[in-house]
Amino acid sequence: MVLLVLGFWQQYGLGQTIQFSLIDSEGQPVEEAVIELILPEAMRGEYQATAIHEIDQVDKEFVPHIKTVVAGSQIGFPNSDAILHHVYSFSAPRPFNIPLYGRGENDDFFETFPQPGVVEIGCNIHDWMLAYIYIGETSLMSITNAEGAASLSGLPGGDFQLRIWHARLDAPGNVMQVPVSLQGGQTSSVDLQVSLQRDRRIRRAPSANRTRYR
Amino acid sequence: MSASRKFFAFTSFRARLLTFLSALLIPILGGTLYYVNRNNTDYTEETINTYLQLGADVFDYTRRQEAEKLTSIISSLTWDYGYRTAFAANDPATLFDASLNVIERSMESTHMLMVVDLNHEVIIDTALQGFSRVQGAFEELLVRAENSVNFQAETITEVNGVPYQLIAHGLYLPRQVAWIIGGFALDDAFVERVAESVVSEVSIVRHFSSGERQVITSTLPDAERQLLAEQLEFAGVIDRIQLISYPNEDWSTLLRPLFQSETDGSEVLAVIQRSYDENQENVVQFRQLLIQFYLLVFALSLFAVLLLARSISQPLTRLASVVRRIEAGDYLKRAEIESSDELGELAESVNNMASGLAEKEKVRDLLGKVVSQEIAEELLNNPVELGGEERVVTVLFSDIRGFTSYCEGLPPKEVLTALNEVLSSISNIIEAHSGVVDKFQGDAVMALFGAPVTGQDDASNAVAAAAEIVATLDSLDSRLSACVGINTGLVVAGNLGSKNRLNYSVIGDTVNLAARLESLTRYYGTASIVSEATVQATPEFLFRELDEVVVAGKRKPVKIFELIGRKKEVSDEKKAEVSQFASALQCYREQNWQSAREQFIQLQRSCDNSALCQIFLDRIAHFSTNPPAENWSGVYVFDKK
Repeated sequence: MVLLVLGFWQQYGLGQTIQFSLIDSEGQPVEEAVIELILPEAMRGEYQATAIHEIDQVDKEFVPHIKTVVAGSQIGFPNSDAILHHVYSFSAPRPFNIPLYGRGENDDFFETFPQPGVVEIGCNIHDWMLAYIYIGETSLMSITNAEGAASLSGLPGGDFQLRIWHARLDAPGNVMQVPVSLQGGQTSSVDLQVSLQRDRRIRRAPSANRTRYR
Repeated sequence: MSASRKFFAFTSFRARLLTFLSALLIPILGGTLYYVNRNNTDYTEETINTYLQLGADVFDYTRRQEAEKLTSIISSLTWDYGYRTAFAANDPATLFDASLNVIERSMESTHMLMVVDLNHEVIIDTALQGFSRVQGAFEELLVRAENSVNFQAETITEVNGVPYQLIAHGLYLPRQVAWIIGGFALDDAFVERVAESVVSEVSIVRHFSSGERQVITSTLPDAERQLLAEQLEFAGVIDRIQLISYPNEDWSTLLRPLFQSETDGSEVLAVIQRSYDENQENVVQFRQLLIQFYLLVFALSLFAVLLLARSISQPLTRLASVVRRIEAGDYLKRAEIESSDELGELAESVNNMASGLAEKEKVRDLLGKVVSQEIAEELLNNPVELGGEERVVTVLFSDIRGFTSYCEGLPPKEVLTALNEVLSSISNIIEAHSGVVDKFQGDAVMALFGAPVTGQDDASNAVAAAAEIVATLDSLDSRLSACVGINTGLVVAGNLGSKNRLNYSVIGDTVNLAARLESLTRYYGTASIVSEATVQATPEFLFRELDEVVVAGKRKPVKIFELIGRKKEVSDEKKAEVSQFASALQCYREQNWQSAREQFIQLQRSCDNSALCQIFLDRIAHFSTNPPAENWSGVYVFDKK
């Protein structure tokens, strides 16, 4: 089921590169999958710089829909809508709860996500609002685009595991790992085909778009 | 008349009408009753069936509505922040309490809640069924929910032995993290709610594969629940109405399957029931009303028919009795029916007929007096028209000699009375011998034997009548004596006269000769003269040949005879005399004048008719001096009447 093909060719500049592509069992590209190169603990330090991020709430949706952060980073959840939102997480890596607040409020409030894992956030007012926060060990993370492709560059050489996560990935915790070997400035191609689960979420009903109560 | 015809023979008009009415009305009324009743019963059964189907539908509808209410509650629950928090707390005890709280808040819409993780492991179960992983109907429910568009599914199964309507719904945090299964019991409260809306009895029964039945819940009283369990049939009766008998009435019953138990294979069904009799009540009432109406119609028709029969049969009976009276000869009897219909016409006709008959009888009477009975009959029974037929008859002419001296000194009226007396006795004698008086002419009578009715012994009758007439008149008065002429021969018999006035009579030479013979009696001094034709027709009588003559107006000579009497009654001396006279006559005809004279002289001394012998003695004296012609054969010619 998992097909791994490695390619080698001469790389200019520093470090190694991974060219990643993901398709589902029907051959369709899989978007919004996160890949993370898992380094041994000793090698992580160089890549563990935390940052302050932001997931905005625009037109009753989280923007972006998926966010990768290095463990220990902070994320702010500003509200750009004219209506109140109530952001919450029941996810184990970081449950939190920011009760109702409006535009301009809580702009200086940041949640810290110290533990790697995936946090699903929702809005208690708008059931369809959903965003994923991928908390990685290091910053060596990327998100597949609409073509199902993602790339990592400036990578150290060596044999590592590449962790792949997708909200509907048919695997325990929606996570899988594949070994990846990075050698002397080469670009490694990782092309995967995976099966996806049904999306266990509520779609935004057309009526939810109505602006009467804005 | 054959037996079958006899079978249908009615003794009265009333019976005929009644039978006809019954034959007409009973099938019509019976048929209508049958069809109306059948249609009504069909309609009622259809109505009951519709009610029951409606009941079952309402059962489903109520269940559906309750299920939707439950879905709303659970759906809200999955987004309930408090409940989510409790779930996220990952503490089953807290979630259990939160679930009980939800059940409490649901106002009896929710009776149980289960939270099951996505791997079908039971997190909490307020019904405390005691399994850690969903199985059977529960698992099937979740699989269906997983495969549904909106992650929802429903089923009916049992929870702790009670049928439950269950709803499965995802629990979102915000992605689905678990399943919530909510349920409400299809229990007493539920069936009562359904029963209220459908005005039917609602039960839920369980049918075990062993055949045992259990009424799980019902709106019926306990005793009837037992009867229901005993009588219900399950095989092949889904969507078919069956009848359950309770002590007071029958109930139409419809089954609606709810679910098949996973654990013991038993089937749970909803039972909708409605009183059959209650629904039938209208039909029964209508039928009774119809029967009463029909009885009334029948009674009225019967009454009308009886009246009708009476109005016809009574006048008919009266008419019949009148007709019988008329038949018996009471022509004056009149039918008294005042009606302008056919009966009235009939009565009028009967009356007219009676009048006609009376008139005819009167005519017959009168005719009988004017003409003889037989001629009257002939006239009455045959078309009266001119013309006649040829037939052989014996004609008798009778005259009364000495009547003038008999009537001497009597006033004219008494003369007529005396004449009528004599003529009556003559007429009676003629009729007694089957003769018919043709006419009276003065004191003369003309009678016919053999017309209008031909008899066996017309000639003999005539001769016998003549003998009696002669004897009767002799005995009546010494001054009176009869003279009779008889002849037999062909005549024309029929109606003579004009169109307006007819006489039944006979004409012809035979009649003329008879009249001549009668008038010749004076000449010969005999009581009767009979022609040869009559003599030949009456061998039982003894005649004396008198002469052979040519009567006035005729050319043909005829032999004439005198009646002596019946041969067996005539004395030997008379016979000897007759034979001696014959011998004398023979000598006369042979011109043996001497011998003839001697014999006539001798006869003149012995016989009682000396005048007769004198006639011949005178002729012999005449011929002795004036001998007759060469060819004379003894015929005497009368040249005037």
